[in-house]
Amino acid sequence: MGAVFRVLLYLYPQRHRELLGAEMQAVFEQGAQEHRRLGPSQYLRFVLLEVGGLVLHAAIAQFANATHRGYLENQVDGTLAPPRDLPDEVIEAQNRLAVNINQLSFAISHHQFVQARFYKNEERKARENLRQMREKYGIGDR
Amino acid sequence: MRHVAQRPAIEHPKPLTEPVLLILMSLAGQPRHGYALIKDIEALSRHRVRLSTGTLYGALRRLLDDGWIERFEQEDTSRDKQAYRLTSEGRRQLELELDRFRELSRAGFARLRLGEA
Repeated sequence: MGAVFRVLLYLYPQRHRELLGAEMQAVFEQGAQEHRRLGPSQYLRFVLLEVGGLVLHAAIAQFANATHRGYLENQVDGTLAPPRDLPDEVIEAQNRLAVNINQLSFAISHHQFVQARFYKNEERKARENLRQMREKYGIGDR
Repeated sequence: MRHVAQRPAIEHPKPLTEPVLLILMSLAGQPRHGYALIKDIEALSRHRVRLSTGTLYGALRRLLDDGWIERFEQEDTSRDKQAYRLTSEGRRQLELELDRFRELSRAGFARLRLGEA
């Protein structure tokens, strides 16, 4: 069943698969092991729910990918290398910064200045974190 | 005299989904890896909710994108090295949501008492 699950993971966008695929496979196998001990009917129920959940969420992830919702890697500075070339830590630092920039713009555009100050501070920290990550992996600002 | 309207506290646009709320609640206690999250959520919901792997990682991916949780490498476990923990933003969002629930249940109980009277 593990092999089927591994094949079904190809329904997800490549980036999602690269980031979380191995972990998802490990979690599925732990669940399968546990449910196999509970008997065939429990195991079958588990497999059906897992496959259903995987197909549904792969479709949602593909839709998000197609509409760029939540896939913020390219939004920061706009000039970075494609996500697949970057280490996970750098991508996560980029995501964090992009989220903070979005929240800051939202707060400013809605005249929420207390929140804007908070997000400005968070954005500064996220930018510093990204700078450190780039330095750690020897990635220039480009 | 200048009047400045009191603005509400930082809001989030819509209520959290149940899986997201349960994940945030589970991580509020301690960092956890994927399978431990599934088991803890099962216990937390008194065996009412068992997240599938797809549901769990769909929610985790969105939470990572939003900066509400972060992923880190655990050194003391043999099998699941990647674990998740709440960020300060995630903790804040969870507090907001739980406050919303408190207000809602207060209003609900008030209505029930009115009905009984």
